Amino acid sequence: MNPRALQQAIVRMMIDPAFVAAVHGRRPVPGLAEDERALLRAVDRRAFTTDRFRRARAVQALVEEYPVSAAAIGLAAVDAFLSAPEFAACVADRGSMALAFGTWLKDQASGIGVIEAAMARLRRPEPLAAASPGALICGPRFAPLLVPDGTLAWYEATLAWLGRHALQRLADHGPRPGLPRRGLTRRQGEECVLLEARADGGMDLGTASEALVRLLRFASQPRSRRALEAEAVTRGAEAHEAGEVIDDLLAGGLLVET
Amino acid sequence: MRRPRDGDLPAARGIGYPWRVPDFSVRRELLPLLGLGVSTEYGASLAAGALDPAALRRARPDFGGFLEVGVEIAKGLDAPAKAWAAAGWPTTYHFLDINLDEPEDLDPAWLAGVRDCIATLKPAWLCGDAGLWHFGRRDRGQMLLLPPVLIAESVGPLAEGIRALREATGLEVLPENPPGSAFVGDLHLLEFFARVAEAADTGLLLDCAHLAMYQRLQGHAPLDGLDLLPWDRVIELHVAGGRERSDGGFHWIEDEHGVELLPDTWAIAEFALRRASQLRAVIVECERNPLSAVLPLFTRVAAALPERLRPVPGDSQIGGGV
Repeated sequence: MNPRALQQAIVRMMIDPAFVAAVHGRRPVPGLAEDERALLRAVDRRAFTTDRFRRARAVQALVEEYPVSAAAIGLAAVDAFLSAPEFAACVADRGSMALAFGTWLKDQASGIGVIEAAMARLRRPEPLAAASPGALICGPRFAPLLVPDGTLAWYEATLAWLGRHALQRLADHGPRPGLPRRGLTRRQGEECVLLEARADGGMDLGTASEALVRLLRFASQPRSRRALEAEAVTRGAEAHEAGEVIDDLLAGGLLVET
Repeated sequence: MRRPRDGDLPAARGIGYPWRVPDFSVRRELLPLLGLGVSTEYGASLAAGALDPAALRRARPDFGGFLEVGVEIAKGLDAPAKAWAAAGWPTTYHFLDINLDEPEDLDPAWLAGVRDCIATLKPAWLCGDAGLWHFGRRDRGQMLLLPPVLIAESVGPLAEGIRALREATGLEVLPENPPGSAFVGDLHLLEFFARVAEAADTGLLLDCAHLAMYQRLQGHAPLDGLDLLPWDRVIELHVAGGRERSDGGFHWIEDEHGVELLPDTWAIAEFALRRASQLRAVIVECERNPLSAVLPLFTRVAAALPERLRPVPGDSQIGGGV
């Protein structure tokens, strides 16, 4: 028997009543051998749900990190994540619930989800992967984003609407309508946004030039300096000033060496 | 290179020695006698109406012999814990954030944080619930505490984690039986921890209130299976009040850390105090109650302590075998 698989199943049983039902159901449960399942079934199923607020606390943690996305999709949808395969994968793969939620969101919260998922990633910086010497990459404190037009204004208005007690507000009022969505054509109505994580843990969010955002998005993978200078020229820089542009971005931490 | 005598190990004992590390029966002689103490965790003593451990020690030095500091590295140490340590008063380090059976959990950043806290607290040893402290990675909203799966296959990984943490810190690591409302597995909890202690060659922390929860859930009498435990490995006891709960016909005990002991818990504690010949420390867990409310409980536990566990604070002795 695999104790880790059992422990992960116990976590899911404590959070997800649907999974409890699956363990006690007739069909095989992926990831659990029959003898492991028999051990779980030997315990009174009510023992897994004595903490009635465990799932609610998980929702609360998600709302604290994704308040505006939660306003866009509603608490019931946030709650549904805890029964989704992405949550199960988070439990099984030593994942981050907040990052898994961002993956699960996909386009449900449109550009708002993009912004708050980027915030969640910036709060959890990963070590820079080793790349060829001298390669440059977008700085770990920055996230260049492309979102539907009007997203930034809706984000700020909704934050104000939520106030200091987002969970209470959402419980009382449900989702907030009016979420800006992407147009029918790919380039229709896009907003270029730059997100910066401050040293004090806060986030600065603002619009930026399309050229800068696209250049930094190009640098989401390690790039040679020459490739970045060429991309800067593609984005409108004069050839003779491309090197200076890259130097400025390096000085500001928008680009860093890997 | 001089080979140290078995009883003459440096602080970093057990790390990288080319010779055999002494058995726990030898190592335990180096553990100080701490007597009766109190527990805390980040911010606990700062809440309104909560116990101030330093005030307890000033009022009753025999009740506040040492402070068991619950540590989650992401939060660090609060000011009262730092002040206690700065006064040079004895401590133990109770981890609140390590899944001992997951080797990935002993990552360099976490270990660096542990070492920093050890440098501040200078604890006599590390201890803590040997269960699941978080699902997925350590992250916001993912902290919890579940007991281990009580099967033979769980013993090895848990013992490996205890050894690894002991080697990484140079301090003894005493696994504690965790609380829970759902215990999965075919081994008795005490048989499981006996196997873990043997495999890790370590001491144990027996939480009498947690054991009472387990016994009640499994339909056992409070003292059932207590002969399964290797009592000469039990170094520390926890005693705490609990609350009987019921929902939909299901009954369990909540780990409340209140001041009213359940009879089951007291029966286990009395038994343990008689049998644990190598006991060094007893904690009364009651951190969220005011001083006046906790004194009767401390008085009751202190009266049940064997004579050798009543040192004058500040006079903690190495050893304590009887």
